[in-house]
Amino acid sequence: MNSMMSIGNLHVRFATPFGSLEAVRSVDLEIPAGASVGIVGESGSGKTVACRAAMGLLSGSNVQRDGTVVFDGKELTAMTREEVRNEFGTGMAMIFQDPMTALNPVRRIGTQLSESLRLRLGMDKKAALARSAELLSLVRIPDPEAMLKKFPYQLSGGMRQRVMIAIAISCNPKLLFADEPTTALDVTVQAQILQLLSELRRDLKMSMVLITHDLGVVANHTDFVAVMYAGEVVEQATTAELFANMKMPYTQALLNSIPNIEMKSGERLQVIEGRLPNPVDRPKGCGFVTRCSYAQQKCHDEHPPLLDAGNGHLYRCWYPLGHTIARKP
Amino acid sequence: MRKKYTIPTYFAFGWLGFAVFLAVFGSFIPIDGYQVIHGDFIDSPPFTSGHWFGVDSNGYDIFSGIINGARLSIFIAVVSVGLGGFIGSLLGVTAAYYRGRYDSVVNTAFNVVLSVPNLVLALALVAVLATNVDINEAVPTWRRLITLVMSLTIVIIPILGRIARAATLAWSGREFIVAARSMGMRDRHIISRHIVPNVLPALIAVGFLAVGVVIIAEASLSLLGVGIPDGASWGGMIARGRNDLEYNPHALYIPIIALAFTVISTNHVGDVLRGKLDRREGRL
Repeated sequence: MNSMMSIGNLHVRFATPFGSLEAVRSVDLEIPAGASVGIVGESGSGKTVACRAAMGLLSGSNVQRDGTVVFDGKELTAMTREEVRNEFGTGMAMIFQDPMTALNPVRRIGTQLSESLRLRLGMDKKAALARSAELLSLVRIPDPEAMLKKFPYQLSGGMRQRVMIAIAISCNPKLLFADEPTTALDVTVQAQILQLLSELRRDLKMSMVLITHDLGVVANHTDFVAVMYAGEVVEQATTAELFANMKMPYTQALLNSIPNIEMKSGERLQVIEGRLPNPVDRPKGCGFVTRCSYAQQKCHDEHPPLLDAGNGHLYRCWYPLGHTIARKP
Repeated sequence: MRKKYTIPTYFAFGWLGFAVFLAVFGSFIPIDGYQVIHGDFIDSPPFTSGHWFGVDSNGYDIFSGIINGARLSIFIAVVSVGLGGFIGSLLGVTAAYYRGRYDSVVNTAFNVVLSVPNLVLALALVAVLATNVDINEAVPTWRRLITLVMSLTIVIIPILGRIARAATLAWSGREFIVAARSMGMRDRHIISRHIVPNVLPALIAVGFLAVGVVIIAEASLSLLGVGIPDGASWGGMIARGRNDLEYNPHALYIPIIALAFTVISTNHVGDVLRGKLDRREGRL
């Protein structure tokens, strides 16, 4: 299988007044061409930072990125800013989490959508507007001609997210990062947007990275999954393998925290107790140890390496699920 | 829902339009020049036949002074604010967008200039720049004018520059800037197409306030004796009129009224425009 993007040993550090904050550490990820890869984890686990760093969107003097990112045969980490910029839009694109803030409030939809077409693909104004209307109908927006003249505040959240998707796919990217594209939307719209993304990916032959905190979304819309926790990939497998053969207590805890139709009325949702470890001062053992119901002494003392369970199923745990060991009461 | 304009707004727009009309076409109005001396009418009160606003103690017709004075007052204000606003926002927007050392330098420079009171700064600049080495040699009017505009421009740069910088800081952290970058847009496109349209309403509103400030500053400088010496501006008329306050008050009050109306109108128009140009989310 061809590789669309290959991330190797990616580290992202932010210099903060409290010391160096390592938001992403040693992430390895393969995004095969045409595949959909899900990145799952709770807030603050480094999903968004990892993707923005991979794409080269993090800027600022306090950011330090190490590791290699190879995109479509080109090593992004060795390229100049200008060369990487050339890959944006036409090579890779991103859909943002909050459609309320990701559109410029003072400019019309048509201007914002046709702008990348004109600047990146060199279309003239008329052609770009015509193409914009096509893109809007591609993302199922009714009456696209009228939509071109509207301002973002006149649109609902779901409509704005569709416009964001239209902008992201406007230059035919090969790889689309969808950074929690449905988090800010209500549930009925979420399903439509995810369905739309899956169809667009198939029709336009894109690869996709879907960032989410919802394992249910991952189950329906991805081929591969990487679970992130505290800046690390803690479990990685094909989607089918992951759900059939879960290894990490953390992944299971994430799955258990999704509301279930079989729950009795009045039953409480399961939550993952505790918090993420302090990213400036990490514990030396497993990062999940204080929240894990299976934790042993070894988990406190030694940081688990990424282990291979066969068929590419990687996990980072000393006592994976299914392991026979006396569990804490 | 479109809010109807109120009567003061119509008045403010009307007055400003009138003042700008005078500034542009005032010299074509068929009346005597403001420096024609009407010897028989010295110190006439307002509503004297042929001299609606009266005549001052030099014999200058005040009506003509108001019409011709608009030219200089408005010209100085518009040019200084335009130039200062352009340079200031260029510095402020780029500083806030690129951050780093450049931003520190620009911001410090703004603060240094702002720490000196406006009028004192302008006074110092004019006094230094518009003086000949040989103090007996007269400084030509055009040079005085240029130094006056330059000094007021320097006063305006940090005022509008800081507004531009603050607004840019707020907007450049927004997600749509990252989104524009993720589509491969160049910095200059992001600044001109995404940041400037958002920063402009605040700048325009404050720019109108700055016009008022500059008109008053120019008048104050005239009063202090470093304005345009021929007294062609409203400030110059006030400077001359104050000597005769006891027996010829209208020579002082009439240009003050013109000045006050103009400043109040610019402030009001600035406010109204800010409301109109503010096309944010949630303003349905």
